[in-house]
Amino acid sequence: MLIREFCMYCGECAGVCPRNLIEVGESTLKFGQKDCKNCQICIQVCPVSALEVEERT
Amino acid sequence: MIIETDVLVIGAGPAGSTAAKHAAIGGAEVLLVDKKSEIGTPKRCAEGVSKNGLKKLGIKPKNRWIAAEMDRVRLVSPSGIDVWLDQENVRLPETGYNLERKVFDKHMAMDAARAGSQIMVKTLAKELTLKDHHVLVKAESMGNTTKIKSKIVIGADGPESRVGRWAGLKSTTKPKNMESGAQFEMVGVELEDIRATEFYFGSVAPGGYAWIFPKGDDIANVGLGVINTITPKNAYQHLLDFVRECKATQNAVAVEFNVGGVPVGGPLNKFVTDNVMLVGDAAGQLNPLTGGGIISGMQAGLIAGEVAANAITEGNYSRENLKKYETLWLEENELTFQKYLKAKEYLQSLSDEELDSIARAFKGSDFERIGPMELLKKLVKVSPKAMVKLGKLF
Repeated sequence: MLIREFCMYCGECAGVCPRNLIEVGESTLKFGQKDCKNCQICIQVCPVSALEVEERT
Repeated sequence: MIIETDVLVIGAGPAGSTAAKHAAIGGAEVLLVDKKSEIGTPKRCAEGVSKNGLKKLGIKPKNRWIAAEMDRVRLVSPSGIDVWLDQENVRLPETGYNLERKVFDKHMAMDAARAGSQIMVKTLAKELTLKDHHVLVKAESMGNTTKIKSKIVIGADGPESRVGRWAGLKSTTKPKNMESGAQFEMVGVELEDIRATEFYFGSVAPGGYAWIFPKGDDIANVGLGVINTITPKNAYQHLLDFVRECKATQNAVAVEFNVGGVPVGGPLNKFVTDNVMLVGDAAGQLNPLTGGGIISGMQAGLIAGEVAANAITEGNYSRENLKKYETLWLEENELTFQKYLKAKEYLQSLSDEELDSIARAFKGSDFERIGPMELLKKLVKVSPKAMVKLGKLF
């Protein structure tokens, strides 16, 4: 997951993550990428659209 | 490092601090942790509470954390028709005081500390495991990993609610129930009445509403909540549109920007399990119609804290024993929340045209003299589906 620099660490993404994979610190956001099923609900709910799918090459 | 305590409370919002305070008053050894360096910052809400709610919790109002007093509500339809409600005539939720949450939240945490609770700020819970009748939480604090061993964990970790899910509770919020909120605190807001909270309905905020919560003089929280599954724009973009169009904010300037999720699907079916209880937003304990949850979360904190302290004295931390909290909170709130849930669904079903015609029908109404039945009759005349959606509530 690509986290844009304007993420405000509000944690809305973490609340909807069906697998509870998102850890929200005061100014950190960490994804448990390994178990992510790419449902992208987190991207959809972000109030500032700070999350993007990382292009894999 | 290992820390041992009877009760660990995760999250020092109003619900968590209230739980910590009452568990400590009940004689338990309590540790309250919060991931932030400053409790209460940044705020994630519009800051409204009812006076009666605070009174019932035994909290004396203090000027330090009250920004303004409200006694009216202004409801605004999509084309700008407004309906005024007076606190004297209608019981209005989340109307009374608009707080300064940064000060209020800290004050509540201080109350917990004065009651005997320990507090660790800048401490993030990273993992939780249940083991032989106790809970082990791995936490990180300023680069140090700490293990906290407790008998009971109270999860007050807000809409992200990781604690509940670690403990096996179904606390994931579905996207259709997650209101996405964005808010500016603004100066130079030109209000019709500085003692009136304003609500704007319709396509201005799909699935939710926009609000103006005055904070004294020309200052106000101007925000909105939307359901992201029914709009292509994010909450921030909707907020920019609202502020551009709204009459009151034409000359207003933002001094703060807040965002956050509001779980409006109603309380969880189950928010207590062995050794773990959830309070506040983490348990969905907020009004699904208004999104207000300070008082209901604190009420939960109070009961959970007392139940936790008793359980510690009795040496029994099973779900069976902790369930008293769930039962008591539901007894007090379940019916009201079901009504608000119905009202929210009805409101979400209305088009801009329907909202306008309802506003037209109620504009200038004397609500003091309208009983609930008459209100419904009047509503059904302009909005027939109200009968099906709301009939049972009256």
